[in-house]
Amino acid sequence: MGKKRVTKFVSLIFLLFMAIIWIVPLLYTVTSSFKSEDDIQSSAFTILPIHWVIGNYQDVLFENTSAPVAKWFMNSLIISVSQTVLVLAIVSLAGFGYSRMKFKGRNAIFLFLMATMMFPAVVNLIPLYKIIDSLGWVNNYLAAIVPGTAGVFNIFLVRQFMQGIPKDFDESARVDGASDFQIFSKLILPLIRPVLTVVALFTFTASWNDFLWPSIVFNDVEKMPITPGLQLLQGMYALDVAHALTGALVAIVPTFILYLFTQKYFMESLSLSSGVKG
Amino acid sequence: MINTGVNKELNMSAVIEKNSGKKRFNLSPYLYIGPHLILFAIFFLFPTLYGIYISFTNWDLIGDPEFVGLANYKEILFNHESTFYDQLHNGLGNTFKFVLFTVPACIIVPLLLAAGLNTRPKGLKFFQALFYMPTLFSVSAVMIVFSMLFSVSFGPINHFLNVETNWLSTQPYAWITLVVVTIWWSIGANMIIYQAALNGISRDLYEAASIDGASSIQKFFRITLPSIRAQILYTVVITTIAQFNVYGQPLMLTKGGPTSSTSVLLMYIQQNAFGSGISIAGIGSAMAVILGLCIMVVSAIQFFFLRQRD
Repeated sequence: MGKKRVTKFVSLIFLLFMAIIWIVPLLYTVTSSFKSEDDIQSSAFTILPIHWVIGNYQDVLFENTSAPVAKWFMNSLIISVSQTVLVLAIVSLAGFGYSRMKFKGRNAIFLFLMATMMFPAVVNLIPLYKIIDSLGWVNNYLAAIVPGTAGVFNIFLVRQFMQGIPKDFDESARVDGASDFQIFSKLILPLIRPVLTVVALFTFTASWNDFLWPSIVFNDVEKMPITPGLQLLQGMYALDVAHALTGALVAIVPTFILYLFTQKYFMESLSLSSGVKG
Repeated sequence: MINTGVNKELNMSAVIEKNSGKKRFNLSPYLYIGPHLILFAIFFLFPTLYGIYISFTNWDLIGDPEFVGLANYKEILFNHESTFYDQLHNGLGNTFKFVLFTVPACIIVPLLLAAGLNTRPKGLKFFQALFYMPTLFSVSAVMIVFSMLFSVSFGPINHFLNVETNWLSTQPYAWITLVVVTIWWSIGANMIIYQAALNGISRDLYEAASIDGASSIQKFFRITLPSIRAQILYTVVITTIAQFNVYGQPLMLTKGGPTSSTSVLLMYIQQNAFGSGISIAGIGSAMAVILGLCIMVVSAIQFFFLRQRD
């Protein structure tokens, strides 16, 4: 028993030490965003601001026309929400197709899709830009929304989840005269809600945080989402701690809030996605 | 909200389908998988194949690609005079360094954290949430924060360590900073996976081992590690792939410096294809294909070695 106590104590010390490393950058960001730049330069390292100010937020969100953070934020919201909705629709339909419909080549197509997951995405970057360009989507939200819906992993997750639902359910509904669409929409959709929540959360955060691709397809400052936008902001506020950190903080608020309310799903989803592979 | 929208649309299609009679060529499976397959073909399959094709051309992203055979590969792999040769070798070398420096840490640190959390300390939920949280933030937001933290003149790190270290533009500090930042930013998912895995190991195993007089370290190597091997394999492969695609950290933190010592291949690919001036998409694509091949080969090797121990 004594040994167990020691283990527990040592690991608590370790966790506390690591927690300090993890918390300092976050705390530094939050408190700096409420300090005036003068305070930071003169008395840089007080933990709490001497004078609390919210001017940084006003400046960063609305005043700077070459880094319009509020606009970027809205662009990001539109892009991430639309992509999430689109992915949910596509993925649940496809998952149903591969799990419940019988047709020629079903397993072959599915296996082929799975195999392409091993293919590194970097190779398609340059031609994808050309496709977006020929569709006239450069600087258009669609450039950031649509290509992300081609992914395969979510279909795999949803199909896997559907396989866990007994086929008897569908059979009895079919005997009662239900069509495929009815089985899909009335029976299966409500049952796969947990996995759809997971897909939605991951799609939203991935879309919100995507960096390289949107920085290629957006060069109009007004149209771009916030994640590539921050790169411009960094250049603009290279020597202005307060404003730079305020911008960064604004950008992480949505995923942070989402996480607060849906922690449970994030945790479950990770074991879900690694479990099926393991 | 989302569900009702989908339902409505589908119910309408259901009505249409019913009206159109029963037995006929069964088109309906393709209505389910079709939307995705079309998007997949246009936005993944075609561009990937085309990407391989244009690596054999001198494409400039505007005109028609002209086939040049292996010229791009010869240029970047073997032509010592060429800047692209330097770019590939320097960029790929730095990418490999980055993978080598970060992957072990991104496995070991979260494993230690998960082991610590597995002792069920007070504040478990808080610790878990804290260590996981940075994975939810974008690379650009995190890099802004760390570029300020590590700043020479007004960064709190130098202030509290009472040094004048130029973290971002002298070596080896630039590499150290990149690695530390990457660990801070990206270990959350692996930690959660390990936590779940450790949770699944039966306590009886440990108790039996204790009775046999096994030490904690023996228990870790004999019971814990073998029990979570599948999850280790999964995380090693996934983490390695992620780190090969490194781009944002060196771009925003060290700007690839000092003197290109942290410029990674993806930065050169981006510059060549989309940078200012005439696009050299053919060369960029050849670089991308080489990077892709490296990723596939390394994943295959990892898979082979970690699987074999059965």
